[in-house]
Amino acid sequence: MDKIRVTNLTKRYGKVVAVDSVTLSVREKEFFSLLGPSGCGKSTVLRCVAGLEEPTEGEIYIGETRVNSTADGINIPTEIRPIGMVFQNYAVWPHMTVAENVAYPLKVKKLTKEAIGPKLEVALHTVGLDRLFDRYPSQLSGGEQQRVALARALIKEPEVLLLDEPLSNLDAKLREQMRFELKDLQRRAGIPILYVTHDQTEALAMSDRVAVMNAGRIVQVGAPAEIYAQPVDRFVADFIGLMNFIPGRILSRNGEEVTVELLGGHRLKVADRSGLTGACVVAVRPEDISLDTTAPMRCRVAAFNYSGHLIDYKVEADGSVLRIQTSKNEVFEEGEELGFAIHRAMLFAQPEVQSP
Amino acid sequence: MTTAKLDRRYLLMIAIGLFILLVIIYPLWQVVFRSFLDAGSFSLKSYRKVFAYPSYYRALLNSIWISCATGAFCMVFGTLLAFLVVRTDLPGKNFLRTLLVLPYALPSFFSAIAWIQLLGPQGYLARIFFQLSGAQAAPWNIYSAGGIVFVLTVHYFILVFITVAGALERMDASLEEAARASGANTYRIMREITLPLVLPAIVAGGLLAFIGALANFGIPALLGMRARFFVLTTSIYYALAIPDFGLATALSSMLVIVALISMALQFGIQKGESRYTVISGKSVHPAELKLRSMRYPLCFGTAAFVFFISIIPILSMVLTALVKYWGAPLAIANLTLSNFIYILNLETGRRAIVNSLFLAGMSATVAMFVGSLISYLHVKAKLKGARALDFLATIPYAVPHTVIAIAMILAWARPPVSLYGTLWIILVAYFAVYLPFAVRTTNSTLQQVHDSLEEAARASGAKVFPRLRDIILPLARPGMIAGWILVFMPALRELTVSILLYTYHTETIGVVVYNMQDAGYREIAAALASIVMALLIVGNMVIRKLTGGVTGF
Repeated sequence: MDKIRVTNLTKRYGKVVAVDSVTLSVREKEFFSLLGPSGCGKSTVLRCVAGLEEPTEGEIYIGETRVNSTADGINIPTEIRPIGMVFQNYAVWPHMTVAENVAYPLKVKKLTKEAIGPKLEVALHTVGLDRLFDRYPSQLSGGEQQRVALARALIKEPEVLLLDEPLSNLDAKLREQMRFELKDLQRRAGIPILYVTHDQTEALAMSDRVAVMNAGRIVQVGAPAEIYAQPVDRFVADFIGLMNFIPGRILSRNGEEVTVELLGGHRLKVADRSGLTGACVVAVRPEDISLDTTAPMRCRVAAFNYSGHLIDYKVEADGSVLRIQTSKNEVFEEGEELGFAIHRAMLFAQPEVQSP
Repeated sequence: MTTAKLDRRYLLMIAIGLFILLVIIYPLWQVVFRSFLDAGSFSLKSYRKVFAYPSYYRALLNSIWISCATGAFCMVFGTLLAFLVVRTDLPGKNFLRTLLVLPYALPSFFSAIAWIQLLGPQGYLARIFFQLSGAQAAPWNIYSAGGIVFVLTVHYFILVFITVAGALERMDASLEEAARASGANTYRIMREITLPLVLPAIVAGGLLAFIGALANFGIPALLGMRARFFVLTTSIYYALAIPDFGLATALSSMLVIVALISMALQFGIQKGESRYTVISGKSVHPAELKLRSMRYPLCFGTAAFVFFISIIPILSMVLTALVKYWGAPLAIANLTLSNFIYILNLETGRRAIVNSLFLAGMSATVAMFVGSLISYLHVKAKLKGARALDFLATIPYAVPHTVIAIAMILAWARPPVSLYGTLWIILVAYFAVYLPFAVRTTNSTLQQVHDSLEEAARASGAKVFPRLRDIILPLARPGMIAGWILVFMPALRELTVSILLYTYHTETIGVVVYNMQDAGYREIAAALASIVMALLIVGNMVIRKLTGGVTGF
């Protein structure tokens, strides 16, 4: 059963359309991410689910409760929605101790001290803050404040957890560590998460499914591997991971096998279902290109970055600049003439050139 | 589960809106309405009267030229001092800057009293002048239009100083450096680059001084009425004493119109200035101008000037409070504490202190309470329509206090609600006067409490009142306390509203100081004024501590 169901959600601010008829569902125990560049409307969707923004149109269900319906004039206030929420800036109340912060949702439910005690202990233990219970937020690190926010969101045992870019204020190392912890915590608690982020590695690493948003719309929904391997359009291909875009031309089509011409007449066979003809864009991941000395397609090494587990090359081939990532031990020097081979590629329509 | 159709916050908003309409807007409307009324029907008779009698239309002209002259002098002195303090290597400039604000921290009628003590016929400075020159009469007269402009300038020049100093500090240093690289010398840079860029700030500050002078009552009352020199505010006071409500309301409407026009101008200029992208919020400080050989002479001159306008009046007030009788030769033997003992033992004095403490405490509390609710609805809850509420609460800011007092008389001094002769009518007027200030501080305080802190409480299940009680109010508390004191202090020494609304038994400190001074008991007036000055200085220090030196003087 779906734990969150959003149907045809639209949010307009005056004439500006922030969210344009978005439909999505988050399943039981699912980690679902909304991913997109800033200003794409992902946070607005989350805030509508939380009830912090009122949709202009659409319906939202949390569990079996209809929390929003513009058609029937329903907009249940945030405070009675069965949600837990973590904010980008943690929003830990600076005038309360860790324990007071975490216990607050139970306090407003008017639970007795005796009833709160054990639950508080469990919540603090879950996020590993047992020993810091009497500290004030100003005495905590960013990561610890983040855990306080998480414990506070979990303690009321909500049906869903809403996370709004919760890791973006942490430093790189801590962020990676928190990714694992968050994922692990979600597994243990078995709670569905709706997660908003602009960081594609974060979304790919943690999510069961990802919805990529652009300009207020959902462009693609799918498992991380699916989105990485089969982006539906150029935007997704460009936004997720690194991608080389090479201009090409389709010469012939044989079922799903297409022959394209690129980079000064070289031919490449590509699996493609788009039905494109003529001029197109060939998209190639950097790791789907290999370098050697003999291959027929030629290039020249313009620059390279050594980053431990891989080598990141920038090469010039027939006027195009390509990124190539190899884990090979052989290191090519700047200016060296080489051959390269493309092992996998996707085809997209050429972007429409707008006449000025 | 159904939705709560009517958000409770809207009920709160409507309730506050109605309260402000009743308590502030309805009385102000009465002023305009009654000015067009004669024996129950529409008439321009009151306005005709203003223009038929020279003494009334002269008051209008006097108000305008006195305020223009004050504005002009303030622009000159304020700008010069701002340049010296912000842009040069004047020694001790930060200390001078602190002292400069002092005259404005005290009520304007205290300034008038102090300058009478100094420059009046028996004044301390006049006496020194007689001894030095051997003259029998001073070549100046403090009880005159010139005296009024002088004291108004001393009181209001700081408004120009603050706006110009701000603009100079925000100015991008590279603009001047570019001129220098183009070969211009310092003098040309100042004249052709810097001055044009801060000109909007100078004019905006001058208009603020103009508006202040226009609405001021205490200074023209103490210095002008004795010489039968009237401005609008004192004419209104006079018209109420007759009493001629038609005339008072017509004069009031005219006063409000002049104030509104200058305020609109000032607002327009400041908006225009902010569109000047060159004055940005960057923290690159322009290079200090080297004064070289002029450094110490200018420092000495400025220090003398600051001492003259900031310190001497306060010393004069304290000294007067300590002399046995006004005009006594200055000797240790003639100093006494009996004036303090007298005023504290006088029934009227004690009553005035109690009244003022009650009024200041109540008006600060009510204004801050209502202000917090308005700010919450506007800044935090961002309800539709809350902006209108904020606007309603800001309206009295544009209305001279004399007019607010008249409005209260018109609205609340006759059946069915007759508050006249009670402290309540003064309280309502204080509330109207100070609400805009309260809303301004509560707005900025609440803006500093990040939205997500409240949203986190909503997501935790807390409804409106628990959110206010547990999250917003505790976080806003230091700002709220500072705001409370910022209303309490000026209310404690308020004169303009109280002098028009007080009756026997409802005197305030300001009224008693004014009446004592007016009746010739100058040393008693000075004693009470000194007590208040001490309280104001302590209050200021508390605010500075609470807000980390951001507000307060």
